[in-house]
Amino acid sequence: MKGLENNQQIKTALINSLLLSAVLLNGCATTKDTEITAETIEVPSEELLSEEIDNDPYEGFNRAMYDFNEVVDSYVGEPVSSAYRWVMPNIVQTGISNFFNNTKGINVVLNDVLQGKFQQSLEDSGRFLMNSTVGIGGIFDVATQVGLEQNDEDFGQTLATWGVPTGPYLVLPFVGPGSFRAIPGVAVDTLANPITYLGYPIQILAILNARANADGALKFIDEAALDPYVFTRESYLQWRDYLSTDGNPTLTDDISEEDLFADEEYTVEPIDIDDDISESTDTVLDESKPKD
Amino acid sequence: MLALIKIKNLMALISLFLLISTVQAEPLSAKQVVINFQNDLIEVMKQGKKLGYQGRVEALTTPVLNSHDLTKISRIVIGKQWKAFSDDEKQQMIKVFTELSIASYAHNFKEHSGESFRYESEEQTARGGVIVHTYLVLPKDKDVQFDYMLKKKGERWQIINIIANGVSDLALKRSEYTSILKREGFDVLIAKISEKITLYSQQ
Repeated sequence: MKGLENNQQIKTALINSLLLSAVLLNGCATTKDTEITAETIEVPSEELLSEEIDNDPYEGFNRAMYDFNEVVDSYVGEPVSSAYRWVMPNIVQTGISNFFNNTKGINVVLNDVLQGKFQQSLEDSGRFLMNSTVGIGGIFDVATQVGLEQNDEDFGQTLATWGVPTGPYLVLPFVGPGSFRAIPGVAVDTLANPITYLGYPIQILAILNARANADGALKFIDEAALDPYVFTRESYLQWRDYLSTDGNPTLTDDISEEDLFADEEYTVEPIDIDDDISESTDTVLDESKPKD
Repeated sequence: MLALIKIKNLMALISLFLLISTVQAEPLSAKQVVINFQNDLIEVMKQGKKLGYQGRVEALTTPVLNSHDLTKISRIVIGKQWKAFSDDEKQQMIKVFTELSIASYAHNFKEHSGESFRYESEEQTARGGVIVHTYLVLPKDKDVQFDYMLKKKGERWQIINIIANGVSDLALKRSEYTSILKREGFDVLIAKISEKITLYSQQ
């Protein structure tokens, strides 16, 4: 009898701690999962490059929040996510990932319509219906296999197409990178996702899935970044710009003219890149010698 | 007599030189520079495991140096601070940045599992550059859009930026580097880049 009670207590404790981790993890998952959270940038890339234009006036606050999220993630997010990936067979992980991805379909269709992309809204509706039925509730991504690629639309992008400016960059505790415009963006995306209305076991799974999916990107940041905070901010802002312009950001303005030509007066060749040419020149000249 | 021979030789040399320079005067188009580089990259990936990290660095050095304007890239990622750099600092920056560029290719393109590049189109920019649009085709994932921005250096087209799915490598590095320079200074920047190179070589 006592043993049973103990068991019950352990179970409760486990559930509580899992819940707590889930709440903490939620933040970390969205922190890193730049593709999912809403918000876009309207500033042309040229301005992004320019040092005078400050897209991060609250850098001090943001860095503190970033560090905080990092600590939480390293103590909770990363270990829980590793455990999840270790326990779940790959095929099950893919199924779970497909399922949650499919639930975003409704929001995609909604934002297609809000952005006036009616043809695309029909395709995305077809995709959602096909995966929900033939794909057994979205577990199998049948639509991609028949050539119906997933479109990435959310309310942050819709706001961008409506001309709402990005506003300053903002890192929130447990929520991660965003901007002032991200707040209404995330709110609408959350309301338009059926997962919001389901019980906590499903939501915990959604969080675990999001963090596990972000794992590759997080490792890449760790590996490639000299300053992970700046790296995250810039890639987030640029990626959102890419999404809200449907893959056609203004590349031509990527570098300011001053930057391209200011170095003309100074050219140092670190390594002789014309090795091949001078070698071939030498060879031909050598051949001319016997003629002497 | 001797002088005459010398002049003859000189004439021969000059005509040879002219001949060579007309042959060389057909520089590759921007598109061809990108395609050649991508082919080299895929080749190295195919032999990646056999070559090992050091082998990949050696195999990629010439292709990277021939196709990228690393002097210009170094200058752009440093931004306004460049003018305040001493000549030594400039050279040091170009040197470590060149090493980093080759090292990151050798690290990130280490093996081949069916990836390929597909050329899409090219466009002229208003400022005399060319953007070559390509895709990295992944067998099990969505294609990644790779846009190369090229500028002419003398007669040769050279890559100065790579934009992967809208994320500009140049803009990213510039934000990072200028931020580190401002907060921690030149020595820390060089140390951090060198640390990255070591890390790449160990994995």
